[in-house]
Amino acid sequence: MSNLVSRIRSAFVHPARRRFWLTVGSGGLIAAGLLARYGFGMVEAWTALMVAAAFVAGSDIAIRAWRSLRVRHFSIELLVTVAAVGALFIGEVWESAAVTFLFMFGGWLEARTMGQTRGALKALLDAAPATATVLRDGDPVEMPAHMVQLGETVLVRAGQRIPVDGEVTEGTAAVSEAAITGEPMPAEKAPGSHVHAGTIAENGLLRIRATNVGADTTLARIIQRVEEAQEEKAPSQRMIERFAQWYTPSIIGLAVVAFAVTQDIRLALTLLVVGCPGALVISTPVSIVAGIGRAARSGILIKGGQHLESAGRIDTLALDKTGTLTEGKPQLASIVALGGVTEAELLHLAATAEAGSTHPLGRPIVEAGRKNGPLSTPETLEEHAGMGLSARIDGRTVAAGNRRLMDTLGIALGQEGEAALDRLLSNGQTPILVARDGQLIGLLGMSDMAREGAAEAIARLRDIGIGRVVMLTGDQHGAAEAIAREVGIDEVHAGLMPEDKLELIRKMKADGAHVAMVGDGINDAPALAAADTSIAMGAAGSDVAIETADIALLKDDLGKIPEAMAISRATLGNMRQNLVIALVTVAGLLAGVFSGDVHMAGGMLVHQLSVLIVIANGMRLLRVPKATAPGGRAAKAAATRPATVAARG
Amino acid sequence: MTQKTILRSDELSCPSCVPKIEKALNALPGVAKAEVRFNTGKIEVEHDPAQSSVEALVEAVRGTGYEAQPAAF
Repeated sequence: MSNLVSRIRSAFVHPARRRFWLTVGSGGLIAAGLLARYGFGMVEAWTALMVAAAFVAGSDIAIRAWRSLRVRHFSIELLVTVAAVGALFIGEVWESAAVTFLFMFGGWLEARTMGQTRGALKALLDAAPATATVLRDGDPVEMPAHMVQLGETVLVRAGQRIPVDGEVTEGTAAVSEAAITGEPMPAEKAPGSHVHAGTIAENGLLRIRATNVGADTTLARIIQRVEEAQEEKAPSQRMIERFAQWYTPSIIGLAVVAFAVTQDIRLALTLLVVGCPGALVISTPVSIVAGIGRAARSGILIKGGQHLESAGRIDTLALDKTGTLTEGKPQLASIVALGGVTEAELLHLAATAEAGSTHPLGRPIVEAGRKNGPLSTPETLEEHAGMGLSARIDGRTVAAGNRRLMDTLGIALGQEGEAALDRLLSNGQTPILVARDGQLIGLLGMSDMAREGAAEAIARLRDIGIGRVVMLTGDQHGAAEAIAREVGIDEVHAGLMPEDKLELIRKMKADGAHVAMVGDGINDAPALAAADTSIAMGAAGSDVAIETADIALLKDDLGKIPEAMAISRATLGNMRQNLVIALVTVAGLLAGVFSGDVHMAGGMLVHQLSVLIVIANGMRLLRVPKATAPGGRAAKAAATRPATVAARG
Repeated sequence: MTQKTILRSDELSCPSCVPKIEKALNALPGVAKAEVRFNTGKIEVEHDPAQSSVEALVEAVRGTGYEAQPAAF
């Protein structure tokens, strides 16, 4: 018994549950009233039941209106309360009951569906485990995940979510990182591996030394980023909010004027009912929340409505080659020593010079050089952006880089050098020319592999309507062409300096193209900044990429680019559809009110329906297919649908 | 001493609730700043817990007709 009482009490304390039961109650009273009048012809009973229904549903609305009024806020609830009370006074009991019931029922449905729209992010939030098992003095202790101290050892058993960011100290496990990267294949983790909070240990038993906890974990930072992105207002949203600011007061003014002129109280009250531009103010946010949430589920971080809008318009995509289209881990493929220098000597000199650089092409040379013994440190080192580097080693000048570096330094290649260079280039290898004291002493051939799935990703981009796909690279023509052929890109700009890339992007934009640039690394930064949309890859490990790019792919997967584009396009289309639905509804309602076709209950019904249609339309974005299906077709199908919906609204 | 508390609600269904909730929270003693983010359903409040506790914030939001829970981030 006391159980029942407490349940009833909790239902009334919890606002959403209270509203639900009040709605059910008022709906029941309305049904009983309709039965009484049309089944048994009891008009008095009908009137009483309708008044009761209006009071049941209206009480909550009136209380909320009063509470808002006390903090000096004119709420929608106030308009509805005035309209409902007004209707009771002029004897329109049915209108009053219907308006209050529909307002409550619509609000309940809207809260539910809006919650589902936000659900994509909720999945991420839920991925963060609330508790962690920590080893203290050898004993496992259960505690809130954000209370774990840095450096403490966290125990994770098979099937559990990892509660902190950290480094595995003991044990191995297959860890599903789907929550962070959207990648369904679990990754093998062993001592020394880094693991992220929110990922799941599918098997095994891990001991993890906590390096980041609570709000500092990668998962929490991603969630914060996604939320900031969802809150960032798209240009069209700002426009609508300005419109909405004026809309409600002017409708109230209109109601007063209409009453003063026509003395028609019904017309004035109906205007109050339709005075909230609900569908309009919710049209853009709902699309953006759903679009960004859908993208986040696949490990694609779109940094805000503004970027969604601009990414949806992209027709040209420029890609960096090294590290984007390719693994970015070139291998040392061939060594050509010239002029009496041994291969070992050549490699040792080149490796010593490159040891001071962080260029990706240098790393395999350094690794290969280290195999033959330790490397000394060059006395001086100078990097020539886009060309190579020069260093002083044991008092001699060593230069390593591309042909332009040699030309700049005035070093002749000679017949032998030219022949070796041609041979490497025709093999699609990237040559690094090495000179000592102004004399070419040999060449190193590097080759890089195209990423898995690169060709499919490029083909899909064309499918979804990105007409022009361009490769921009600082690398030589031969290597660039070889990769371009492999992945199916026909426009290649090779041998570019960072500022050349920037210039090319600017030129494309000047020609009227909407350009997205995909890249990584410092030499792409100017081009990324110049593009309409910048896309960074492999952002899970790099805060810089998350901070600076408009779209960050948490995983090095080219397939995510067409997916991101498809989502952006679908979102942009969805936003436009919602705007049309909302504007048609507002216009239709006002026309209907003044022509006398729409009364209070009808106005409320259409208004609530339009809000629900807009939310439901936005929710379709959550179902934008994964990378496999061509988004162009989906977008087209979507574009034909709103016409019929709008006509109904 | 002011602290920042984050509440989350999945019940916000129309942006018209934003000023309503913000005004209700700002009317509490010791609340320096209250911001409601409609798109994500996140409510950020800077308040003095000695004057208005987290429970009082939740109660104020409930008064405007929405259930909210405190969240870690």
